[in-house]
Amino acid sequence: MTKDTQILITRILFWLVIIVIAVYLLFPFYWAINSSLKSEAQLQMTPGTYLPRSPSDGSLDVYLRNYSAVFQNQRFITGLKNSVIVAVSTTVLSLVIGSFAAFALGKLRFRGKEPSLYLILSMTMFPQVAVLAGLYAVIRRLGLDPIPSMILSYMLFTLPFTTWVMTSFFEGLPTELMQSAQVDGATPFQTFYMILLPLTLPALVTTGLLAFINAWNEYLFALTFTTIAPQARTVPVAIALFTGQVSFQEPFGEIMAAAIVVTVPLLVLVLIFQQKIVAGLTAGAVKG
Amino acid sequence: MSEDAVPPVPTSRARKSGISDLAKAEERLAYMLLLPTLIVIFVIAFYPLGSVFYNSMTDRRFASAQEPQFIGLQNYANLLGITVRQVPAEIDEETGEIVRDPDTGEIDYESPVTVLPREPRRYRELRTFNLGDTRYVVGAADPDFIRAIWDTVAFTVVTVALETILGLGIALVVNSEFKGRGMMRVVMLVPWAIPTAVSSRMWEWMFKDTRAGFFNILFQDLGLGTGQIPFLVDQSWQLPAMIAIDVWKTTPFMALLLLAGLQLIPGDLYEAADVDGAGRLRQFWSVTLPLLRPTISVALVFRTLDAIRVFDVFQIVLQKKRYSMATYAYYELIDGQLMGYSSAASVVIFFIILLFAVVYIRMLGVSND
Repeated sequence: MTKDTQILITRILFWLVIIVIAVYLLFPFYWAINSSLKSEAQLQMTPGTYLPRSPSDGSLDVYLRNYSAVFQNQRFITGLKNSVIVAVSTTVLSLVIGSFAAFALGKLRFRGKEPSLYLILSMTMFPQVAVLAGLYAVIRRLGLDPIPSMILSYMLFTLPFTTWVMTSFFEGLPTELMQSAQVDGATPFQTFYMILLPLTLPALVTTGLLAFINAWNEYLFALTFTTIAPQARTVPVAIALFTGQVSFQEPFGEIMAAAIVVTVPLLVLVLIFQQKIVAGLTAGAVKG
Repeated sequence: MSEDAVPPVPTSRARKSGISDLAKAEERLAYMLLLPTLIVIFVIAFYPLGSVFYNSMTDRRFASAQEPQFIGLQNYANLLGITVRQVPAEIDEETGEIVRDPDTGEIDYESPVTVLPREPRRYRELRTFNLGDTRYVVGAADPDFIRAIWDTVAFTVVTVALETILGLGIALVVNSEFKGRGMMRVVMLVPWAIPTAVSSRMWEWMFKDTRAGFFNILFQDLGLGTGQIPFLVDQSWQLPAMIAIDVWKTTPFMALLLLAGLQLIPGDLYEAADVDGAGRLRQFWSVTLPLLRPTISVALVFRTLDAIRVFDVFQIVLQKKRYSMATYAYYELIDGQLMGYSSAASVVIFFIILLFAVVYIRMLGVSND
């Protein structure tokens, strides 16, 4: 075997591996799109087809009514609205409260800093299910509606995360910046919101994005707190409990259409912000 | 109120210079900035955790007017109660001999239920096993929860192992220079970005028990099965199905973490290895793996602690057919209205996670030396 053929074979093998990986990661998504474009009759065809085909003559036959059904499904629309409200509020609140704390932890000197840092770090791994019953009781005691309950309880995972990541960003900013601002007569708080905060805007976007996605995807709390309040359900719960407008059978065509509708905005976010997301995801991990 | 009137006691430190006044102001500001975070954490984490611990020792029920009774550790005894008993062979009353199956010659045993204790709590059969000619039965006061612990731990070990191996493979491939690497990164984010509720339903549909489902088509094309495998009902397929869903969903995350770690390894190390004549495989074992170890450890901790509390997939796809620890606690709370009992299950989960965390941190601490 000459060296050239060897290189060629390695190349072909390499690309084969790449293709296998890509197919593995994308196939379930493809299957969902495929199924969302099939009617009930097409879905029941055996064996299932890799493209939407007509049951009678096997020609290509795309069925779009699942999508119109999804957009007429009031529960799903309400779910979308609830999800936006909950995820946006959680993100904004966590960023505001979290960056206050992060500024203190990253740039100020005070007693009890180390324990506070450990507290925040350990909170990032706090298991939600451990507080489920207790949190439910707190919410009932406070008399909160389901939507504010979700916003508050989602901070269990968004707040420690934003605080932790923002702290490391604040730490990275040069201390001279603060000192020169102080010499100019700025109070520490002025330094914080006039000088440091604008500098951390990119970090805010990254952490905010990740907090948003986590809040958007949350299921356990949403399911629990909306048990008796179906009108407050978020999208993941709506999809998990999806029932069709008409059929009693589980309408998988519509469920798949709903799944695609929910996923597409997330994919757009990922496409636009992929570098930021990767940076944010790996920020905590790689430093060790 | 009256404290305002008391003049502040000048400490020697504060007197020293104006700098300590500044330092004091800084400290005060720090506490003020931390306060909102601490309050939120207290309200949604510590207080609820405390009440979960407390309730786990009561028979409290949801939406019940009855005053809860303090019952000590009874919930735990019920959740974790486990016992092993010997099952006697059936004896023929006339001959006094052991009854054997006339066809196979195997010993007939009594029903395991007869040997399991009924007081103070009733044990049910978890499984039986044979040691030689002696048969034993493992009984549990709450077989569902014991099974849930076992299933969750098995799920965790297998998923994390598979994710690490696959994730490392993907990271190594994507780390090399090639056209379309940026595209590949986007592709890797797809499973991660999809809500677990959504991906669970996608896979639920792929696992359908007729050849309308992708896996039944695939298996039949490969000459396996009848095309009617009930993946989500068949006991032996349920866990593999859950594992497949979770591995697909989280491997990319693992790969991205490992990729970031790979990119921190300086290229000249490989050049040096090339000069020394080390082959690719050798380079992987002697350069890549040791340098990647801290990243792998962190990723392992993240993923393990995450996998133990798995909820979404189990609840959506299997519902009450088979439990993870978290879905069990959920159903006891919401369907069973058993707040005390569910809380005890939560506490058990909390300690199992803590156990894993401590073990890991120990291991990491040792490896950092």
